Amino acid sequence: MSVELKFSRANRIYRPSEPLEGKIVVKTHSSISHYGIRVTVKGSVNLQVRGGSAGVVESFYGVIKPIPIVNWTIEVKPSGKIVSGTSEIPFSLNLRQQDENLERFYETFHGADISIQYLATVDISRGYLHKSLSATMEFIVESDKADLLQRPLSPEMVIFYITQDTQRHPLLPEIKSGGFRLTGKISTQCSLFDPINGELTVEASAVPIQTIDLQLFRVESILLGEKIVTETSLIQTTQIADGDVCRNLTLPIYVILPRLLTCPTTLAGPFSIEFKVAIVISFQSELSKLHKKSDPKTPRLWLAMETLPLELVRTK
Amino acid sequence: MEFRPRNYSAENESHALPRVRAAAHPLSAPPPPSPLAQAEVIDRGNSDFFDPLRGNANSANDTPSDHDNWNEAVDHQPTKEWTSFRRLLMQRFPVSKMVSVSSMPDVLMRSGKLHEKSSTNMHLEELDDPQKFADEGAKTITWQEYVSRLHELKDEITRSWLAEDRVTSLKLSIKVAKLLMDTSVFEFYPTLFVLVTDIMDMLGNLVWQRIKQKAEFSEDGALCGNLAENFKVRDICADAKETCYNWFSKIGAVQELLPRIYLELAIFPCWRFLLDQPLDSLQRLVMMTRGLGDPVASAYCRLYMAHCAQKLPSHDIGYLVTCVNDTRVILMQILSANERTDKNVKLNRKLQVSLMEPTVEYFMKCIFNGLSQRQVNEVLSELGLMKNQQDLGSVSCVSIILHHLLKELPIEVVSLNIVQILHLIEISKDNSFDQHMNYRLLGFRLYERKFPDDIVNIVLDEVIQVIALYDSLDEYLKVVDAYTDLILQNQKDNHLNTILEGISKRAWNKGVAEDEMLSLQSLVVKLLSHFKNLEDVFSLDWFPEIIDVMYGKSQDVVFLYVLNMATRNGHISDPTIIQMLFEVSQTLHDNMEFLNVKDDDGQVARSISRFVHMVDYGAEVECHLAFLVDCRGAFGRLNELKETLVHSSNSLAIQALKCANKHLSFVKSCVTFSEVTIPSISAPRKFDLFLETAEVALLGGMVSHLDGLIDSAISSLYTVDIIDGFRTPTDVEGLVSSIKKLCGFLVMVPGNFSLPVTYFPNNLFTLISSQSWFESKMRTQIFSAIVLLLTTLSQNRLPYHANPQIPGNDLLYYGDSSYNQELVSLSKLVLENLLSAVQQEPSQAAQGIMALEACNCIAFSFTLNNELSSVCLKLIETAKSCLSAQDRYLQSTVQLLSKQSPTSVGTTVSNSI
Repeated sequence: MSVELKFSRANRIYRPSEPLEGKIVVKTHSSISHYGIRVTVKGSVNLQVRGGSAGVVESFYGVIKPIPIVNWTIEVKPSGKIVSGTSEIPFSLNLRQQDENLERFYETFHGADISIQYLATVDISRGYLHKSLSATMEFIVESDKADLLQRPLSPEMVIFYITQDTQRHPLLPEIKSGGFRLTGKISTQCSLFDPINGELTVEASAVPIQTIDLQLFRVESILLGEKIVTETSLIQTTQIADGDVCRNLTLPIYVILPRLLTCPTTLAGPFSIEFKVAIVISFQSELSKLHKKSDPKTPRLWLAMETLPLELVRTK
Repeated sequence: MEFRPRNYSAENESHALPRVRAAAHPLSAPPPPSPLAQAEVIDRGNSDFFDPLRGNANSANDTPSDHDNWNEAVDHQPTKEWTSFRRLLMQRFPVSKMVSVSSMPDVLMRSGKLHEKSSTNMHLEELDDPQKFADEGAKTITWQEYVSRLHELKDEITRSWLAEDRVTSLKLSIKVAKLLMDTSVFEFYPTLFVLVTDIMDMLGNLVWQRIKQKAEFSEDGALCGNLAENFKVRDICADAKETCYNWFSKIGAVQELLPRIYLELAIFPCWRFLLDQPLDSLQRLVMMTRGLGDPVASAYCRLYMAHCAQKLPSHDIGYLVTCVNDTRVILMQILSANERTDKNVKLNRKLQVSLMEPTVEYFMKCIFNGLSQRQVNEVLSELGLMKNQQDLGSVSCVSIILHHLLKELPIEVVSLNIVQILHLIEISKDNSFDQHMNYRLLGFRLYERKFPDDIVNIVLDEVIQVIALYDSLDEYLKVVDAYTDLILQNQKDNHLNTILEGISKRAWNKGVAEDEMLSLQSLVVKLLSHFKNLEDVFSLDWFPEIIDVMYGKSQDVVFLYVLNMATRNGHISDPTIIQMLFEVSQTLHDNMEFLNVKDDDGQVARSISRFVHMVDYGAEVECHLAFLVDCRGAFGRLNELKETLVHSSNSLAIQALKCANKHLSFVKSCVTFSEVTIPSISAPRKFDLFLETAEVALLGGMVSHLDGLIDSAISSLYTVDIIDGFRTPTDVEGLVSSIKKLCGFLVMVPGNFSLPVTYFPNNLFTLISSQSWFESKMRTQIFSAIVLLLTTLSQNRLPYHANPQIPGNDLLYYGDSSYNQELVSLSKLVLENLLSAVQQEPSQAAQGIMALEACNCIAFSFTLNNELSSVCLKLIETAKSCLSAQDRYLQSTVQLLSKQSPTSVGTTVSNSI
């Protein structure tokens, strides 16, 4: 005896204005009677604070009450019987209900502290004597086309340059004295469908370069009382240059945004989800070999970096 | 039994065919056509004849740059080209037994769990003792192990794919691609590249097939419609696009640059499902490749790009030009680093450049494949070699790139820009490639076509001037070798003189090394083949000196060439040339033991024999004989040559005899020379040579030599059967006819009173009877010949005489009845043996012929009494039982018989037919 939820779309992506469709698949060896088959849609923003910039006390009270977005049940079938074998019961329900919505439909997001999740649950209740059958499945919500940004993305790019003097942390003496200069440009507003674009040129570097990486960070902030707790975590590293590349050759920056790990930049009252990119230059040095796996956020003596905010938007 | 008297002159007249004078010799060549007609023939030949070795230089011009056709071809072509290129690539860098890798990738470990465990282990180890980890960096693995592991991985990827576990396939492929990040494997890198890209291509195909299937079939497996060859993005359903995009996202998430590029290239054709213009992505990948700091890794990455781009239905060559330009920048960086680094690093740099060379070669091949003149100019200007598409050669180029550019550049472009190209070669001088090799290449290229005189002059003047400064013979030779054909073709004698002087001076100063010898050999052979006459070549200044410095195998090759050339055009009579060739031959002969291949020996022996044969001292016969004596001394090991010596000395003797004043003593010397030389020759030819010499002796009237020679000839037959492999049908026939010839010759030989009159025929007969290997067929023929000889000797007048001064047996024994008696008794004996030989023949057909032969012999030799008639009759019966009645030989024999004996026998025979 098993029950399963199957959505109409293989990628399980739905927009708030669209009906969530699918079927309930019940497999049973004998026919069973039930007191109704219901599908519940539940969406919420789950917040928790742990470590990060939060203090010991806050982390103690880690879990904060979730922010509900939607919670809505329909009856697919009134009480009756399910025959033995495999039965497929189609269902369809609107996500957005007039006046019923508690919050904006934020896009699905799974972060370290913030999780925006939409679940559909099927329940087949069979009275008090039998355990009710149920199955839960996550579906993904993307913003409605109508809600999307009307203005085009700004085509402008931020121009950056990185030298020994732009670094706010100490560098190895040979790097500091020898000097280096990287210039480039990068888009700071980016559609989730498009890669992060830009380019990078090593103009000079006395110390040979080990690698140049583009690190993508997400910044999750939660309003906790009167304080804002912020957690920054690395979600993807993409190598742009491997080894001591030729000087004055333009290297392209091209990073495809990872699905699920990114969502549109969200600035809600109680929480916010933001992103930033860092261009990290690692110089060849004996020291770096001893610390192969180190926290990427920590500035090291052999690293130079430039961090830029990145606004992610959902476009049509 | 009685010999039949013969009247030879009457028989000759009655049997002779009427003679008619012929207008032309039947074997002479047809009359040469007029020169005009010949020229026409040649012209037509040129246009019709397609020389596959020349390539289709002409048709390259004619074919318009028809893009549709070209693209179609590209669809199939690259796979073949690529396969052969890959094979060459692997062959070019032979792999040493052990491959050292900078760190052992876990994917190469055979232990099953290669995913998480080992990496955490490594991590722990690393934390534990970082220093230790660093020390263990350089590890080795046998290349067989490496290769077999890669094959295993390929299988694993396919297996997972088939098991619908595509994520594992992708993960493994990423690990495989990462292997290419380690270039410390050096010579193994090209092989590794081939193996890894093979796996990448496989993955690319799998992904392509999967997405194509998604585009062509709906979810439940129904066919929605086949994709056209040139489909557009709008033809692709959302589901397929989604899957395709997922693949690119997954690959885009790979952290390391190199595997990310390789994997995107592997599935590059899939961009067509998402973009109508995937070429922009190609341009981006070219740029991304710049991020690979390792020169070798980036070069091979570009190589794979060039390969993958050809899978697109259409592509331009812009990205290739960028690739070449980027490679140039990298090379320049390597070269500038060269100057300030120590020797060890320099070696690595050299290796790096040589590893990168095939990639440049491949780019150039792809770029210049079927370009129009205008496009070529565009490419040149894009490569930065032409400012404003006009002034080629104003900017220098890395010489290795220049080399491969020169190799592929259409020859018209070369000729149009010859001055600029010369300048370009001159200013592109660096360590990536030896400058002289570019001069050399230019020389070869210019020989592809016939060029106007002024172009040739410009090039030659410039090049000769440049190489005049070369100190090294090797470099000098390498360049000069390439230009020799050009110089000879255009008859630039002054240049020829200069280069010969240059070579000989350098050679005399420093000697010639082994590897230089090959260039020298090629050059000398070119010279030799150009000149028709040996005298012309040797009269060139410095040429003899150059020949003198040669040694070893190259010397042999050149000497053999000289020898063949000298003997090509008739007789050699110049004493200095003869002396020179003699020395040449002597060297070849003395070096022969170093030539292991039997075929070579045969070639040398044949050439020397031919040389000896062609020598002609004219009237100076004494000198000639002395020369032959020298040859016998010098070339003792050549069997074949001794035969030639005997022939030559015999013909010398005949020549002397023909002279008005006969030098009998000289003839005697010749005969003696032959007589002494023959015994050292192997058996089968001895008989003929003795016989030949005997003939000469008879002509010269040297009766005492004559008997000895004939004796030697006959006794030489004793040893014949010892030689293995002699009894091929032709050899047997040859021997039998030689023996028959001896019989014919014996007619002229005067009897010696100290010997029995039938001494020689008897000896011959005894010998043949005693040697069991003479088959009955041979016996029949030889015995018939002996019987006929005896018959002839019995005549009152012999059919022919050799030397009027030597009386024949007809004079010596005229009317001697005991003489006749002896002949008859011997012929009886021979006849008996002849008949028994006929009876012994096992084969029916052969027996029939033999019987007829014997019958003819009897009919010609004897007056047919009853006894003989019945013998003949019996023979005819035998023949009839073996042959058909229509057999012409049988019929004519029967006719003869009836003519010879108008008695009962003839009629019986004719009636019975």
